[in-house]
Amino acid sequence: MSHDGIHPEPTSFWRKHVFSVDHKVIAKQFLWFGLVWLLIGGMMAMMIRWQLANPGEPFPVLGALLFPSTGGVIQPDTYNVLFTMHGTIMIFLGLTPVLIGCFGNYCIPMLIGARDMIVPLLNMLSFWTLMLGGAVGFYSLLVPLGASEAGWTGYPTLSTTVGAPGSGETLWALAVFLIGASSIMGGINYITTIVRLRAPGMTWSRLPLTIWGMFFTAILNVLFLPVIGSAMILLVLDRAFGTQFYVPATMIDGGGGDPILYQHLFWIFGHPEVYILILPAWGFISDFLSFFARKPAFGYRVTVGAMLAVTVLSAVVYGHHMFTTGLSPMLGESFMLLTMIISVPGEILFFNWLHTIWRGSLRLTTPMLFSLGTVFVFGLGGLTGLYLATISTDIFLHDTYFVVGHFHLTMAASSLFGAFAAIYFWMPKMFGRMLDERLGKLHFWATFIPLTIVFCVMFWSGYAGMPRRYYDHTYLEYLRDLQHLNVLTSAAAFLLGAAQLIFAFNFIRSRWWGAKAPTNPWEVGTLDMAVPSPVPYYNFETIPTVVTGPHEFSNPAIPDGKDWIFQTEPLADRAAAPTDPSAQPAASH
Amino acid sequence: MTIASIHAPVEDTRDRTNAALGMAIFIGSWAMAFAVLFISFLILRQRQAVWPPVGVTLPSLPLAVAATLTLLGSSFALHRSVSALRRGAPFTSWWTAGLVGGLVFAVLQTWLWADLWAAGTTTFTGGTYESLFYGLTWFHGLHVLCGLGALFLARIGAATGRYGHQRRAFVVNAAVFWHFVDVVWIVLFICFFVP
Amino acid sequence: MKTLLDALRSRATWRWLGTGALLLMLSPCADAAMLQEAVDLPNRWGPNPSASDYGWRYDELFTLITILISVSFAIMLILLVLPMIRDRARAGHKASFDHGSSLFDKRFTATVSVIVFIVLDAWVLVIAVRDLREGYWNIPTELEGAYRVEVLAQQWSWNFRATGLDGEFGTADDVITINDLTVPQDRPVVFNLTSKDVIHSLYVPDMRMKRDANPGAVNQAWFQPITAGDFAILCAELCGFAHYQMGAQLHVLSPEDFGAWEQDASMIAVAGFDPEDTEAQWAWDWKE
Repeated sequence: MSHDGIHPEPTSFWRKHVFSVDHKVIAKQFLWFGLVWLLIGGMMAMMIRWQLANPGEPFPVLGALLFPSTGGVIQPDTYNVLFTMHGTIMIFLGLTPVLIGCFGNYCIPMLIGARDMIVPLLNMLSFWTLMLGGAVGFYSLLVPLGASEAGWTGYPTLSTTVGAPGSGETLWALAVFLIGASSIMGGINYITTIVRLRAPGMTWSRLPLTIWGMFFTAILNVLFLPVIGSAMILLVLDRAFGTQFYVPATMIDGGGGDPILYQHLFWIFGHPEVYILILPAWGFISDFLSFFARKPAFGYRVTVGAMLAVTVLSAVVYGHHMFTTGLSPMLGESFMLLTMIISVPGEILFFNWLHTIWRGSLRLTTPMLFSLGTVFVFGLGGLTGLYLATISTDIFLHDTYFVVGHFHLTMAASSLFGAFAAIYFWMPKMFGRMLDERLGKLHFWATFIPLTIVFCVMFWSGYAGMPRRYYDHTYLEYLRDLQHLNVLTSAAAFLLGAAQLIFAFNFIRSRWWGAKAPTNPWEVGTLDMAVPSPVPYYNFETIPTVVTGPHEFSNPAIPDGKDWIFQTEPLADRAAAPTDPSAQPAASH
Repeated sequence: MTIASIHAPVEDTRDRTNAALGMAIFIGSWAMAFAVLFISFLILRQRQAVWPPVGVTLPSLPLAVAATLTLLGSSFALHRSVSALRRGAPFTSWWTAGLVGGLVFAVLQTWLWADLWAAGTTTFTGGTYESLFYGLTWFHGLHVLCGLGALFLARIGAATGRYGHQRRAFVVNAAVFWHFVDVVWIVLFICFFVP
Repeated sequence: MKTLLDALRSRATWRWLGTGALLLMLSPCADAAMLQEAVDLPNRWGPNPSASDYGWRYDELFTLITILISVSFAIMLILLVLPMIRDRARAGHKASFDHGSSLFDKRFTATVSVIVFIVLDAWVLVIAVRDLREGYWNIPTELEGAYRVEVLAQQWSWNFRATGLDGEFGTADDVITINDLTVPQDRPVVFNLTSKDVIHSLYVPDMRMKRDANPGAVNQAWFQPITAGDFAILCAELCGFAHYQMGAQLHVLSPEDFGAWEQDASMIAVAGFDPEDTEAQWAWDWKE
């Protein structure tokens, strides 16, 4: 749709705040939705850690409310529900809405100079489909015969009626399907918007890296969410209509369905999903490191190329999740090689990030701290991936806490840090209020230190041979002497959980009572920083014309002795020359 | 008021390109969903010793052929309709023909299922063939329903004057979606009816 | 140094520290009893020593990777922390201006990543492929003296079946045990794994072996014990609410002890054989 004029803002409450088609309002809806679910998922993690540190002890305070029949003690089946829903919630209802739903929606039009998404209605639909998925997922916790307890991976035959008779698992599969549909809608919108609605002069090489991250994430979303959608449909058919896609006819061989088929389908989706979550975070921090080091992003094109390479390769490395399932040796070795190859673009990103901050002028604001934290935790997580990519070490470490530590660092912690960086960075523009910097820094350190301890000690338990998803590791003699590691992990995890209260307090307080944000709080030149805070309904009164890249920090050609320049302002040496007509993008307004 | 409805009457070349691009991305995306089903078909089929299995009543071939031809005809009619629409010529009769063809396909498909179910081949007998046949055709059937809905909306819109030569992105996309449904059906037909 | 002193003098620092200390006290981790108990319990910080013929492959490769990634991580950490200290924004300090887009920069990045790939990944890859082909995937056959065990996993126990003295599966003298497996030392032990219901995974940490038991297919795995003794078998794939209880005992007997044991066990099996008990007749043809 073309928006030539500026239209009046809707006035009714429902149109303005609930069924709004404004991308900024939808972004806020996604943000609140995601934060609430992160809280719920985080609470579940606390319960899991409580059980592992004090097996069989009643969970304090909340336990008596949630599990009155056992006096607050977490039962084995409840424990399975907890880690299943912790994973599902954190990935699909927590991180995805915050990273992609909120910041995709907020950043894409703002940073490319558009008034809204290309199909605002689809955008709204995407949110409400997610809402429905969240509702179904939540309802699945309450049904008789039990919620989903087959792990977030939902491997059959445990997730078919063979292992899970209750309707919770069916509802879980439907919820994942709905959430997937929501992501696909978002993805189509994001790609089309980025391709078609860039402001005049916003060439591909002038896009902030945030947009590149979102672009690749959106591509992965539209390509691979349908895969999980189909896998879930087959699971639902198996559960509700008696089909046999995943249930074999005999236990020995041949005939009937194939549980391994699901694993293939799940990981064809599941591995790109890791990158779906991490690519936006990579985009944010590639920008933020440059913004706060007051230096251009080192090797812009190489960074984009590396992200592209990761996007392409992400589709062909999924087999490393299945090294113990009985892949043929040839497949196994191929996946090992491909997995190692995907580390190369990862390394290139690291060089570029480290090079960006080298000899910069670092402003250690909260978003910068979280960006540096992302580099740290992703480095730790990425390097430990080498143990798991290597089949002969993965055989021992597969399905142990080593894996838990690894994927939490790479996928959960780094994308969470990326999300926090983005929240601290764009809060002023979204809500017109600054988050408190001192509380923010406290939040960073109170998160960063325990988080590192939690997952590093998990590596240790995994190295000592503790399998994941064990309700009570003290039951078997072999694991009884790992109690100290679990207590240490849990202690740090509780600190980590408590630290999020600082954020909750800071966020709520600043949202309504925080200091009013200036127009350009961080002194950067992206398009959103030129409009007032909070951003007015139609973003840009006139669609801006872009003449410079997003990272021209400390460029000697910047006039007036500043170290930054708006993307709409020409650099001194270019000021006289007319804009290169060939640099005009496809879309102009 | 949504932004879309404020602008309802206006549509230029750029909007059409936007709509076509969005639709292309959607089709590319959703083709992955069907690709997964076809891969599952191949993998599960290869697990069975005999294919098609012995002792299972198979779906009626004549009905399936009739359904396929109807669907092809329907797609062709929509294609003619869209060409006419692009030229600015009257397009509604071809469109109606396509819509009716789609409805006939839906009826034939339902007949095919009912016939087979009545013959004792149901999903609850637990065979791979039944699972694949019903699973894949049901999933396709849902898309037929969505497609018919879109064709119907386009037809209504054409009748009320909402859609026409000047404003046709939705109509074109509905036809594109129907062609997609058609192509998927042909692959399904090859899977189940071509030995 | 001066900045550090300034920081120590500022009220803000103390407010942070105070809040941090308060949080520490408030958090449930200050539960002294819990920590004390954990310290008092017997504890270990790594896996038990390897008891299998190929276990050293895992141990050595793990050590190698640990060294490689520790060095890489240390370098990364220096490059991350040094600018945080040296290049902090302050009056009079200006960032250098460098887009890093010159041909030299690209070549530099490419060269470094190739070097890192070779040092980190390619090296490990070569060793891993060697280990897999010589060790883990080099499954000995019956003719090579393998002791064969059929494993049928179910919720939530391990059924083991060995041939007994006649060397044939599915006969009356098959030694069938539940959650308890006895194997000979210094002889390859080969498994055929499948499952009755959901996916399980046979995990023998001290032998450095893990393999999934999938319903609908038979998987192979092996190890060769080099130490006699008792070892743990765990289930490593989520299999329902008693997943954590699905352990078993592995007894490795010296060749002489094992011979005597097998004789006894086979005789007991024949004596206790019940052809009516179809539940127990689950053997399948051995899959090499």
